[in-house]
Amino acid sequence: MNQTPAMRTQRSADGQVSAVRGRSRMTKRQRRDLWLGLAFVSPWLVGFLVLTLYPVAASLYYSFTDYNVVSAPRWIGWRNYTDLVADPLFGTTLYNTMFLAIIGIPFSLILSLLIAMLLNTKVRLQGIFRTVYFLPSIVPAVAAALLWRWFLNPDYGPVNEFLWQLGINGPGWLADPVWSKPALILASLWGVGGSMVIYLAGLQNVPTVLYEAADLDGASVWQRFRFVTLPMLSPVILFNLIMGIITSFQAFTNIYIMTGGGPANSTLVYALYLYQNAFQFFRMGYASAMAWVLLLITVVALIGIFRTSGWVHYEGKR
Amino acid sequence: MTGPGGFARRLMLAVLLSVAAGSALAQTEITFWYAWGGSEGQALAELIDEYNAMQSDVHVRGSFVPIGDGERILASLAGGSPADLVTVWDWMVVPLGYGGALLDLSPHLESVGLSEEDFLPGIWEYGAYQGEKYGLPTTLNVYGFSWNKDVFEEAGLDPEAPPRTIEELDEIAELLTVMDARGNLRRLGFYPNVTSIYFYAFGGQLYDPETLEVTLDHPGNVAALQWLADYYEKYDINLIRRFQAGWGDMASPFNPFYRGQIGIQEGGQWEALASTVHAPDLNWGVTNFPAPEGGRADVAPVQSSFWVVPAQAAHRDEALEFLLWLTEPEQSARFAAALANIPPRQAALDLPAFGETVTPHLQVFIDMLLEGYVYTPPGLPVGLYLSEQLNQAVNSVQDGNTTPQAALETAQRNVLRELEKYD
Repeated sequence: MNQTPAMRTQRSADGQVSAVRGRSRMTKRQRRDLWLGLAFVSPWLVGFLVLTLYPVAASLYYSFTDYNVVSAPRWIGWRNYTDLVADPLFGTTLYNTMFLAIIGIPFSLILSLLIAMLLNTKVRLQGIFRTVYFLPSIVPAVAAALLWRWFLNPDYGPVNEFLWQLGINGPGWLADPVWSKPALILASLWGVGGSMVIYLAGLQNVPTVLYEAADLDGASVWQRFRFVTLPMLSPVILFNLIMGIITSFQAFTNIYIMTGGGPANSTLVYALYLYQNAFQFFRMGYASAMAWVLLLITVVALIGIFRTSGWVHYEGKR
Repeated sequence: MTGPGGFARRLMLAVLLSVAAGSALAQTEITFWYAWGGSEGQALAELIDEYNAMQSDVHVRGSFVPIGDGERILASLAGGSPADLVTVWDWMVVPLGYGGALLDLSPHLESVGLSEEDFLPGIWEYGAYQGEKYGLPTTLNVYGFSWNKDVFEEAGLDPEAPPRTIEELDEIAELLTVMDARGNLRRLGFYPNVTSIYFYAFGGQLYDPETLEVTLDHPGNVAALQWLADYYEKYDINLIRRFQAGWGDMASPFNPFYRGQIGIQEGGQWEALASTVHAPDLNWGVTNFPAPEGGRADVAPVQSSFWVVPAQAAHRDEALEFLLWLTEPEQSARFAAALANIPPRQAALDLPAFGETVTPHLQVFIDMLLEGYVYTPPGLPVGLYLSEQLNQAVNSVQDGNTTPQAALETAQRNVLRELEKYD
């Protein structure tokens, strides 16, 4: 971090340069460079404008219309939004989505941190262990979903077979409205490899001097974790939390394959219901409104997280 | 230009060249998205090849495009560059057609002299809405009431006497049901899956076939849903769901009906062929659905995918001509035989290409179709919204949240409200 002042100076020097030489003061060469630069990024720029920005803007417009994709949209003002509030499945899907997020994310954050810490200890074959624990994350979502459907099969699945050996008649898992959401969370924990790797990187950035100092002060293992590892890792935890919220609000593929939203709507999540409206009920306008409401909810949740992120310690900022 | 011989030669050459160029230019290529792979796709590909060989004006280029939920088809229609002939699910036909994306076939069918009598009973109106007809059914599926004779015998019942009334069905279902030591189902006596079948069997209906008015809260539907709710309560819906999760793939020897995990089920006519492949020793029978007194004892639930011509297709006329050829009795018979489905064309039933494949089991399904009360899924602009509302009604009744009457009234109200958008 002793580089920071130098970097700041450089940055401000840059700022000055561009401030002094405004648009009108560009040299020929600079103008050429600008066009060249734009030309080089144009594939991305055009792609973004045409394939992302335009559809996003269009969906905002469609959210105020009756639109079944093949006929012309018809302006209906806020009706999709008022209908959404009155739709009982809006509440159901929101509840299911929140359940999976609020229960699932902490589990995944804790488990991946735990695994990362274990994999950070210096043991033989460390590289192999790391690979093995990361491996499930690269299994395609569809294959993993099918695998878990078999794994959690109430009658033939290994999970219930194991429970039966312990004398427990296991639940119906994905086939039982009470257990279907916990089952999905269980299955999702299989993919913690992604956040685990980020934790691992974070752990390796914790300066060993801090641990040495803690040792000299006679800190216990718990104290080392609580007062060194956790604070130093908090920005990474925040990052994983945010990514977790975004992905679990948009959960679709694994649920579409594993349960299709059933039984009895117990796994009908927001994105799945949005998809049904768009492609099965020909209510693209309604689905667009749903998408914008989801964006709003996500933004509010993230602002809430940032507002309460006093627990996050950034190096050199205290 | 020197002698008459040279001129004639040149003229000849010019004529020959222009004819060759003309015929090459005149051949129009049409694209055909079909939804069958494997041997079924092969059967269709053979028909396409035959069409390509028998005339030189049009070349049909078929490609296997699974329908899914129609995302790709919808995108191609919205984008204005669809294939010339497309295969879709029945629930997509009216929403797309009424939205203006499909060609109304009625004037064309009329111009070639096709009418209601050329199709099996109840099929002409399938895929039509407010007098416009947006597609032709590919081949028909019909459900029958199938029972496993060995399972009947095992339970000490007469294997040749399937239940004929709802009371008998309730009784026999109980006798056939087997639980294991863990308290889980080993065999479900009767598995009701397609709710609407029982709506019709109880005298109800999803819509009025004359006026197309939606009638989800019909008293017959309410009575049927009450009966189903009692059934789910008796056997515990969660135990059934759990049992269901352990069933194998339907198109495999692990089909729960083949393995005796289900005693009585709604089986499609394809079982007539599929069972000989996957369970050659299966001893089963099929008959009409039972009905309560005053109900309908001859319900024949029919489903099909459809061939449609997009309104914006580049070669609509050529696609239409090919479609008319493809759905002629002979081709219809051959394709249906390859799929173990039933051809929608009346005349196709008697052709050897189909007739030779008819087994005694399949004959029962055909008779149901010819003599029974045929009903097809309602073709409304709202797509699957209606059946999803039905699912929601069944769900909330299963969970004990509401009465069948109230649940169906809610569904009815929602569908009517959704339909208002299309006035």
